[in-house]
Amino acid sequence: MRRIAGALALLIGVLTAPGLAGAEDLPQRWVSAGGSLSEWVVALGGERKLVGVDSTSQHPGSLRALPSIGYQRQLAAEGILALKPDLLLGSEEMGPPTVLAQLKAAGVRIETLSAAPEVPALQANLKRLGELLGDPQRAARTLADYEARLQRQAQWVEQARVTAPAPRVLFLLGHVGNSPMAAGKDTAAAWFVEHAGGRNLTGHDGYKPISAESMAALDPDVVVFADRRLSGDDAIAALLKSTPALASTKAAKGGRILWVDPTLLVGGLGPRIPQALADLSAGFYPAAPPLKVADRQP
Amino acid sequence: MSASVRSRRLLIFLGVLLVLAIWLSLALGPVSLPLLDTLRAALRMVGLPVTAAGLEQAELILGQIRLPRTLLGLAVGAVLALSGVAMQGLFRNPLADPGLVGVSSGAALGAAVAIVAGASLGGVPAAFEPYLLSFCAFVGGLGVTALVYRLGRHDGQTSVATMLLAGIALTALAGAAIGLFTYMADDSTLRSLTFWNMGSLNGASYARLWPLLIVALAVSLWLPRRARALNALLLGESEARHLGFEVERLKRELVFCTALGVGAAVAAAGLIGFIGLVVPHLVRLIAGPDHRILLPASALAGASLLLLADLVARLALAPAELPIGIVTAMIGAPFFLYLLLRGRA
Repeated sequence: MRRIAGALALLIGVLTAPGLAGAEDLPQRWVSAGGSLSEWVVALGGERKLVGVDSTSQHPGSLRALPSIGYQRQLAAEGILALKPDLLLGSEEMGPPTVLAQLKAAGVRIETLSAAPEVPALQANLKRLGELLGDPQRAARTLADYEARLQRQAQWVEQARVTAPAPRVLFLLGHVGNSPMAAGKDTAAAWFVEHAGGRNLTGHDGYKPISAESMAALDPDVVVFADRRLSGDDAIAALLKSTPALASTKAAKGGRILWVDPTLLVGGLGPRIPQALADLSAGFYPAAPPLKVADRQP
Repeated sequence: MSASVRSRRLLIFLGVLLVLAIWLSLALGPVSLPLLDTLRAALRMVGLPVTAAGLEQAELILGQIRLPRTLLGLAVGAVLALSGVAMQGLFRNPLADPGLVGVSSGAALGAAVAIVAGASLGGVPAAFEPYLLSFCAFVGGLGVTALVYRLGRHDGQTSVATMLLAGIALTALAGAAIGLFTYMADDSTLRSLTFWNMGSLNGASYARLWPLLIVALAVSLWLPRRARALNALLLGESEARHLGFEVERLKRELVFCTALGVGAAVAAAGLIGFIGLVVPHLVRLIAGPDHRILLPASALAGASLLLLADLVARLALAPAELPIGIVTAMIGAPFFLYLLLRGRA
């Protein structure tokens, strides 16, 4: 009976809470349905408030120990209610709408933040997360630091381009054994390549299968490969094995096939992006002195 | 024991099973409610004077989440099983499945159009948007079935064999069109499409439930009235005609019922396989081929089976959920193999 009474008190408390008035109203039990949002919650010191995450929240590894609420577009109302959350955090992709309505009716506050891979979206997200976590200063500091790192990254790329031309880059996303998909011009992968100082070669939208012949015809200087199962050199070896056509490209001949973690590309700009950009751009401009990663996240 | 006693006992057994399945579906879920609270909330919902003290959570979960979900499962399971009986009767083949006349692939095509093109299409009134997917799936299912039926007609006669082949051809064509939409889809719409194809009772709400409930009720009341005609059809088309049944009309009605029922079920819950195939089969094994028993028994068994499968779907990975199509296929496919092997021995 005490448990029900507690749940009920919680429910009534949430239903009658007048928005974000004071610190005592801050949500204490969070469910996060969005990979990079979960990462930010952890980066801003809110990890102990998380009671459940969705299947895209894989970083940091400690999040995998939390109960999984499944895929962000297929949330189950009762499963989430069983975690007794007072806040559900997610992006516009979160759904289905009827489930969100049921959760709202049950008194769960729903925060929808943007998953767009762009700085203004990130600014708004961090500001909101700072308010919800009750530590806006820390969020502001983190944002300023993040923007400074992106700024330094941009300057570094500008410097590097003085001495070397921008490499022509093909971004491939794949599962081992299947033919890889090429990232098109409007994707997070393209954003990533451009900000690391490369030039994305493809002209299509989204991620599309690409034929061996067109890969050879594009003849990229650098191939960036994101694989969901293998990492590092294993992934690159598997890629070369499954797509022999790559061997004839400049990228393969020059040994310039780079691996990136595909979870970086999901759900907007995450905290690991500046570091990953620095690593990638070092691969794009091997002659330039690598960008110093001084002040890392606190 | 005479056949009629046996079948009466079967119907009683299935009725009890269904009541049990409904109760379990209301009582169990990722949120553990005390049994007494569930019972009191359920009694309050049917209008009995029970004190409301401490029942807010139970009433919310029961009334807003579990009850609509249970009703959805009930309707979808019954309609799919009944349509399976209608198709197996029409094609005089126990391996027939509602998908044969193209209703599933048509609905899948409609869903693909709605999911992939719907986002970029724009211009859809905001009030209609939540219903776009269901509407397109329903229209797609009905449209392709109408085409299959039309192709099967020649000189005022409906050839079941031609319909079967036309169904296969149009299913392949719809598959190609779905492939095209899949190709155009981006990553996230692709995942929505995949999940839709595995079906789910998740997110049921009263607002979207009532069209299906009306269709399910109509089909469940109407199909059993054709039980005698379906029995006669078992003997063969000309035999049924000589026995005085209007075979052409019966065929038309069976196809229409299936298209309407499966179309509405698929529109509400996505593609859920194997209920339409396996349930009539199972019931036939126990009760024999008499449609007077087969139809009501299949409706009861289909609804029970789907509710029980949904329990697995919502409890197995809680707080996440398994698409119910996976559960029904995992139960259905081995059972189907068992039937095949048993028939061979």
